[in-house]
Amino acid sequence: MGVQLSTRRGLLAVALGAVLAAPVVIAADIGPLPALKYDKAKAELGKRLFFDVRLSGDAAIACSTCHDPANGFSSPTALSKGYPGNGHFRNAPSVINAGHKKVWLHDGRIGTSLNDVTREMITEDYIMNMDMRIMQERLKQDPVYVKMFKDAGYGEPSNGKVRKAIPEYLMSLTSKNVPFDKGTMSAEAKRGMKLFTGKAGCVQCHNGPLFTDQKAHNTGVPENFDVFLNPMNHQAFLAFAMFQGIENYMNLKRDPGYYNVTTDKADMGKFITPSLRELKYTAPYMHNGMLETLDDVVAFYNNGGGEDSNKSSLLKPLGLSKSERGDLVAFLLSLSGDPLTGAEYVWQEPYPEEYEAIANWRKVRN
Amino acid sequence: MINNKARNTQSALQRVRDRKGSLGFMILPVVLLAGLGTGCATQTQASAMAAGAEVTSGPPPLAPLGPPPIPLDNKQSPEKIELGKLLFFDVRLGGDASTGCSTCHEPTQGWAWAEDFSRGYPGTVHWRNSQTIINSAYYPRLFWAGSSSSLENQARAAARGGVAGNGENDIMEARLALIPEYVTRFRDVFGTEWPLIRDAWRAISAYERTLVQRDTPLDKYLQGDKSALTEQQVRGKKLYEGKAGCIQCHNGAMATDFSYYNIGVPPNRRWEEDGLAQVTFRFEQYAKGQTEEGYRKAKSDWGFYYRTKNKWDRGKFRTPSLRYTMYTAPYMHNGVFYTMEEVVDFYNRGGLDEEGRTTPFPENKSKFIRPLGLTGEEKEDLIAFIEAFSGEEILVSPPELPNYAPLFTKQELMEAKK
Repeated sequence: MGVQLSTRRGLLAVALGAVLAAPVVIAADIGPLPALKYDKAKAELGKRLFFDVRLSGDAAIACSTCHDPANGFSSPTALSKGYPGNGHFRNAPSVINAGHKKVWLHDGRIGTSLNDVTREMITEDYIMNMDMRIMQERLKQDPVYVKMFKDAGYGEPSNGKVRKAIPEYLMSLTSKNVPFDKGTMSAEAKRGMKLFTGKAGCVQCHNGPLFTDQKAHNTGVPENFDVFLNPMNHQAFLAFAMFQGIENYMNLKRDPGYYNVTTDKADMGKFITPSLRELKYTAPYMHNGMLETLDDVVAFYNNGGGEDSNKSSLLKPLGLSKSERGDLVAFLLSLSGDPLTGAEYVWQEPYPEEYEAIANWRKVRN
Repeated sequence: MINNKARNTQSALQRVRDRKGSLGFMILPVVLLAGLGTGCATQTQASAMAAGAEVTSGPPPLAPLGPPPIPLDNKQSPEKIELGKLLFFDVRLGGDASTGCSTCHEPTQGWAWAEDFSRGYPGTVHWRNSQTIINSAYYPRLFWAGSSSSLENQARAAARGGVAGNGENDIMEARLALIPEYVTRFRDVFGTEWPLIRDAWRAISAYERTLVQRDTPLDKYLQGDKSALTEQQVRGKKLYEGKAGCIQCHNGAMATDFSYYNIGVPPNRRWEEDGLAQVTFRFEQYAKGQTEEGYRKAKSDWGFYYRTKNKWDRGKFRTPSLRYTMYTAPYMHNGVFYTMEEVVDFYNRGGLDEEGRTTPFPENKSKFIRPLGLTGEEKEDLIAFIEAFSGEEILVSPPELPNYAPLFTKQELMEAKK
């Protein structure tokens, strides 16, 4: 894989290969999630950047437009909004706990760092379509940023430091006061946990402190036809497929998922196992938002997943009773903590409405 | 005038000698021979033309405009032109589907934009004046510093530029594929299964090659209709070709020598007062490959320098055509002059604005630019003549654009193998 893709993705693919070749994590690994260390001044700067529409080409959308804090920093609509002028073809996942991950995006195409994820989100034409050289100059035009970059030890505002500050902020977005972590689960949730690790078999993929093996699986989630029936979404999908170099993109009628990374047909329709933390806030579910509630998700797996020729052999009908399904949902909800919606997590100060002119411009250095 | 030209020519050749040592001595006789043998009209190299001019009779005369050159690799056809017209007006050929060619080249604003700086992509402002599309077909190079070598490349560069269209090839090509009428039209014109974005630039260029004006009062006059110019305009023509010296650069059928000069235009004051313009200013220094030190200290548009990186090219811009200028105010690469009166006053002062401001690179200022001593009446005559470079206003109604449609039916999606 790394060799095949080296011209396009270089180290990324190699690094991703290393992650995926790691030994299988076993069920017993589920457990509390440690907080992450981060620098307060850098994270504060990252927070202001995350909510700032000036980080998109036409200054219309921010990171938070699709990673909405009111929805657990995920997209409240099945398919993300995308950049103005187009739509999108996947559901923006929560960025809470993203700092704990080793592989990002539903198809797992970035396995290096949040620095690279940040760059991809800001520059991709169907996402934020930002020429980062313009972004840098916008930031240098805002005295608040000039001060914040300096105070954070970054010197003057630059593209590279944006790609460091936003990940620093993301490190501050970790689950808080989770019943599972604190050992305060209800009796119902405790019964659900037993099913989770036993009869329902969820833990086969949803394991580790993040409740994900961070590997790609095909569970047969039905295609979201809005991707293809709505030309706004379809154009984003086509632009993505062209840029990624997926062959035969004009005829694709399904999301290729992890196939994009490996170009192995056996990986068609596989997506990286999502974390189960903060599900309370992040509906709708799955890479394309096809399942609206956790009841729907549990029902989906109880039926043995969806239909797909590549479907994982781990999936089979579970035979869960109605009360067992309720217990399982209660357990899933016990993996969500406090909503991260206060000023500690959300930038609430207004942004300047226009760019202040630099005084004495002719005399000062740019 | 001739003396000035000769001096300029010699300094140009001196530079060649300075840079290339003895090579310059080899070039000189060749240029002179070429000038003697063919006259100056066919020379396009600035130095060659100037050298020819020195020996023969001066700059190429004004001439009626012939048909535009058509590149052999992008021939005209009615179908291609029609497609190009649709695309010219289609704002989906830009980043957020709001900014197409016509956004900054608006037919009712002289196929340009009637502000000093072009309006730019949403969230930005441009840093140069938008130039008219009319007669753009005749320019060998496009943009104010000549950075594009063809209309096709200009269309592409403008659609992709961060403060212009800010469009990426992928998304623009994807949009074309989802507009069935375009799929059919591109297939008919270019023979491809799906539209290719580079063919969009070719079609747009074919349309632009129809946006020419060859029947101005001046064209008619030069073709023998002596009634096409007023007496005042005829007096203005004499000044243009004589005392005012305009013809030194604004010569030939397009009233431009397509060369680069620093004429002393002062920087636009907007950079001192407008934060958004300051953002773009620095971005351009960055994007055009300035050195770190250049980026830090630049306080004006260095123009032709960005292409050559020669310090003597700082502040030089390509001589614009004077055709259609009746409709294309404001003037100059940065739109600092809103009327032709201001432009003529600027030249009459020898390249100074009314406050005495000029280029930050006076050492590069063309020797052609000197106080002209034109009287009030002479200035009026000159302006009257410059109006003869414009015919009727060219206006078209924006076409009705084809819609997006899904590529697949729900049935086809349901039947797709998973």
